[in-house]
Amino acid sequence: MKRAWWKGLVVPAALIVLAELAMRVQGSTSMSLAAPSDIVAAFFAILFDGSLLLATRDTLVSAGIGLAAGGFIGLALGILFGLVKPLDRLMEVTIEAIRPIPSVAILPIAMLVFGFGYRMEIAIVAFSCLWPVMIMTRSAMAGIEPRLLEVSRALRLSTWDRVHKIVLPAALPRIMVAFRLAASIALVVAVTVEIAANPLGLGYGILVAQQALQPAVMLAYLVWIGIVGYLLNAALSLMQQRLFGRAGRVEAAS
Amino acid sequence: MTLFSKAALGGAFMLLAWNGTATAQTALNIGCTATTDCASAAVALEEGIFKKNGLEVTMTLIGINSNIPAALLSNSIQIGGPTPSVFLQAVDGGLDLVAVAGASSTSKATFDTAGVVATEASGIKEPKDFVGKKVGAPGIGAFLQVLFSKWLIDNGVDPKSVNFVEVTFPTMNDTLKSGAVDAVVTAEPMMSRIIASKTGAPAGYFLETLPERRPQILYASTREWADANADALKAFRSSIDEAAKIVNENPQKGRTAISSFTKIPMDVLSNMKLSVADPKLETEQLDWWVATMDEQNMLQSKPDTSALIQK
Repeated sequence: MKRAWWKGLVVPAALIVLAELAMRVQGSTSMSLAAPSDIVAAFFAILFDGSLLLATRDTLVSAGIGLAAGGFIGLALGILFGLVKPLDRLMEVTIEAIRPIPSVAILPIAMLVFGFGYRMEIAIVAFSCLWPVMIMTRSAMAGIEPRLLEVSRALRLSTWDRVHKIVLPAALPRIMVAFRLAASIALVVAVTVEIAANPLGLGYGILVAQQALQPAVMLAYLVWIGIVGYLLNAALSLMQQRLFGRAGRVEAAS
Repeated sequence: MTLFSKAALGGAFMLLAWNGTATAQTALNIGCTATTDCASAAVALEEGIFKKNGLEVTMTLIGINSNIPAALLSNSIQIGGPTPSVFLQAVDGGLDLVAVAGASSTSKATFDTAGVVATEASGIKEPKDFVGKKVGAPGIGAFLQVLFSKWLIDNGVDPKSVNFVEVTFPTMNDTLKSGAVDAVVTAEPMMSRIIASKTGAPAGYFLETLPERRPQILYASTREWADANADALKAFRSSIDEAAKIVNENPQKGRTAISSFTKIPMDVLSNMKLSVADPKLETEQLDWWVATMDEQNMLQSKPDTSALIQK
């Protein structure tokens, strides 16, 4: 892996050079595109005036709390539905009716209820992170080796002991995958909410730059969101490997 | 008196004085979109007129005008700058909003700040040429598209025969160039850039035939806020009155204030006409908007315009 790490960069680098040349030669007057060198300059400008870091903090706080809240509720519901089959069947229609609602569609309601600010964004992020975690937890529970559950019954473990000694450890690698999935959703939803309505964070930075006719700043935000997303995923993936060793790697690959 | 008690007394006085100023200042968040229409509020903030009148004002840039009614209702902003069409549709939908002052209005001096720009290939020269063509507008049912449709109707063209698509301002030049649309309904500062880059040519100034002093943006709040904050509202109105004069007499100050609010660079704003600031708002002006919107079937009921302007 080590000797060829740079090969993956050949195509992006070539594209960037091409974009720079195209913008310079053509003398573009576009209000939505900018030359890569201008984007880099804009990036450092917003980095040093502090606005980029402030916006990153706002977005990550909203996405993080939303992910934690939605993930926790999803995990609890997933375990509950996994353990109590009649409840699962009872709630199926209700859940399947609410789940497909696009998270951005609840924006107008969330805005009326919470107003601008962290709360609105957190609520919407939590709503969208809840479902993948719930469904993957529930299916992870179904995938637990039945003999483990039989053993727990034979040992007459209490429900709590059964959950935290048998069920959670057995399902954890797959639940971790669910969290990773939810984390990427959280960032997407947080930025979308900011572009559509909420005046804070990276999405709002994109919106303001776009409306202020500063495409270089707008694209600098866009590139930065990509980097943040990549780092977030890399951190979670590293955590998964460290915590679960080979089990984590197998699941991550699948 | 010991030094200690003197210090304590001094401290208490300072606290009182600080408290006094804190209660005298009413906090107010004003939400506007990135146009020059809210120049009066931006100037009142920039020049310290709000502060002088006892208002602690912040301004929030709102991305989409139609978000303003919801932002008002959730008390995220106390005063917002919706277009009359957004305002009337919100009221028509049952939201209890009132107009508290005028922000900007149409004028013969600024009719050329908005228009429809068509590509040469489209062959569009006059209103009847728009039939069957694809036209990009910043928002369907929003200010510019409604007035463009009115212009079509006044010229005997049914707007339903025109295929409208939403195109955001900054992407208009690129969208027009790619041929995805035949024309765009646009406004400054985008319009002159599109014309300068020869992507398209003006095919109609639909504000030209409008009567004078039709509101473009008005300041609105919830009725609840306006009733409960009569003093703050009075201070707001007199601040806007004072600032509007500055905007109209000294546009450079208006541009500086707009630039610091919207972050639009000064070199873009410097050769741009500002909308005429017009703080007065009358029932008859809203009636004109109701009639215009009725013509396009945009309202369910007939709003009582006399009750929509806060006394």
